[in-house]
Amino acid sequence: MTFTLLLEQIFNGLQSGVTLFLIAAGLTLILGVMNFVFLAHGAQVMIGAYAAASLISITGNFYVAALAAIPITFLCGYVLEYLLIRHLYQRDHMDQVLATFGLILFFNELIRIGFGPAALFSNLPPSLSGFVYILPDSPYPVYRLLVIGVGLVCAAGIYYLVTRTKIGAMVRAGASNESMAAALGVNIRLLRRFIFSAGACFAGIAGIMLGPLTAVEPGMGEPLLILSLVVIIIGGLGSVHGAFIAAVVVGIVDTLGRVVLPLLLRSVMEQSAADGAGPALASMMVYLLMTVVLVFKPTGLFPAKG
Amino acid sequence: MDLFKFLWTGVKEQQMLFGLLTGFALFPIYTAYADLPFWNDVAMRIMLLGMAAMGLNLILGYGGMVSFGHAAFVGIGAYCAGISQFYGLNNGWAHLGLSLGVCGILGLVISFLALRTSGIYFIMITLAFAQMLFFLFVSLEQYGGDDGMSINRADFMLFDLYNPLRLYYLIWSALLIISVILLFIVHSRFGVVLRAINNNESRVEALGLSPLRYKVTGYIISAMICGVAGTLFASWQEYVSPDIMHWSRSGELMIIIILGGLATLAGPLLGAVVFFILEELLPELLNLVAPSYAENWMIIFGPIMIFVVLFARGGLMGWVSRLAARRMSDHGVGQ
Repeated sequence: MTFTLLLEQIFNGLQSGVTLFLIAAGLTLILGVMNFVFLAHGAQVMIGAYAAASLISITGNFYVAALAAIPITFLCGYVLEYLLIRHLYQRDHMDQVLATFGLILFFNELIRIGFGPAALFSNLPPSLSGFVYILPDSPYPVYRLLVIGVGLVCAAGIYYLVTRTKIGAMVRAGASNESMAAALGVNIRLLRRFIFSAGACFAGIAGIMLGPLTAVEPGMGEPLLILSLVVIIIGGLGSVHGAFIAAVVVGIVDTLGRVVLPLLLRSVMEQSAADGAGPALASMMVYLLMTVVLVFKPTGLFPAKG
Repeated sequence: MDLFKFLWTGVKEQQMLFGLLTGFALFPIYTAYADLPFWNDVAMRIMLLGMAAMGLNLILGYGGMVSFGHAAFVGIGAYCAGISQFYGLNNGWAHLGLSLGVCGILGLVISFLALRTSGIYFIMITLAFAQMLFFLFVSLEQYGGDDGMSINRADFMLFDLYNPLRLYYLIWSALLIISVILLFIVHSRFGVVLRAINNNESRVEALGLSPLRYKVTGYIISAMICGVAGTLFASWQEYVSPDIMHWSRSGELMIIIILGGLATLAGPLLGAVVFFILEELLPELLNLVAPSYAENWMIIFGPIMIFVVLFARGGLMGWVSRLAARRMSDHGVGQ
């Protein structure tokens, strides 16, 4: 394999890694701080993507639509927490799995009724559809670089929020011992609602950015949800920096695996079979990674609860 | 063990279970009389999903281990039939034996690794194993990959399965046998320890028992039951694909259990019946109200699930037993 191809794939891996991080950042806090199994986080990604796609067709301006979609996703998370999620915190994991599974079915069907079962495709504005040369002979799409950039900025923002602000201190206190934090005067109910809405918002941003890269369709969030759960488990529940490291690792392993494995398989079997089996085996690699981590460190690499 | 006492414990539940089984045994007579052979097919599907859910319920309900990947074992069972047939082995009993063996070994390995974790981590690691197996079968192009493969009904010798009624009663017998086995397991010393672990694991440990051993054994038994359901499912569907082990199928099994009632014997079967009634009924209802949305019945099913979780503690079996308790107190019996 040539060096340029490898570099390009590492960039693609980084891009999918930061996107995964945006989804996982909120979810790791929902799972870690609230001890709440929230499976409908993928639906938040879908809501972001659909909000952006429909705003693009209304306003005709990509930037305006993308920015306007962000508060919508925050509001969706807020309303959802208020109407349903807060009633489920005290329930056991089984109930949480089932109720949020029901939410997935509901949201997917709602989107299917509202927008039809077919995938939406949104075009990039001309200013974002070009290429830049990361090396003299390797062009790379501007938009993917923008996604990496926005993802890294968001990651820095989340890092600042969690480690340098008062809210962040409360979040960390909640993650390590919720009842102690409550006894020290942290309004846990408000904190939960904030974490939930902010998490929904970041997942929504991921959805908005993924819009032009993938097919925007009902059920698009679930594969992403499962992958971000893997990220969270590898990184350790409730640990934002663990989620970041794990997301980048998972993104790069997944992307490189899809390219490298078929090449490796081609040397042992015929090309058509290798091209078919490669991506599926690459999808397995991520779960294999998670299993290995869990077998050796049953609470993930950087658990927040010590 | 005191056999009389054993038979008496949970007699209400057994009435329900054997009532349902009798219902399934007599159902083909009704469909023959009413000339609705299609419904036999539906009943077979209900029995198979109920069987898999009963297997999962052993560890989920009684053992308190939330396994989010049990559809994988159903899929493995189905592929045991599919792949052996691919290589010319068409004996159904051999398929069942193979499926029991493979699911048993796989259950041992997976549970041994997964039980190092607990809580949310356990849910996720079982999901991860199921996803690995799912993608493994997606990648196996020679067995159809993503599209799956068509198979013939297996040859069960005594049962000529091209007579649909024989397949029906083969599935029914398997369900009966598994029900009786589970009845014994749940009321045996093993079952009591499993429930005790669910209640308070450290106390069980303090009594000098090793919880891990009981949990692994429970997991293996439940994996094997799901494998049997899968093998029979392959014969029923005459088709195997990775879709049967998709993670949403594992979710479906859990819905069936919670609909019927956790940690009850009849619950999963009852849940499977209700699940399919809803699946058939909701599109019909929507067809009456808003015909163009009939295929979007999930939009009602999702909220129903949420309401069941929020308000119907104990599922249908809990509702039945509350009803029975009220009737008894109305008659001044039992306080």
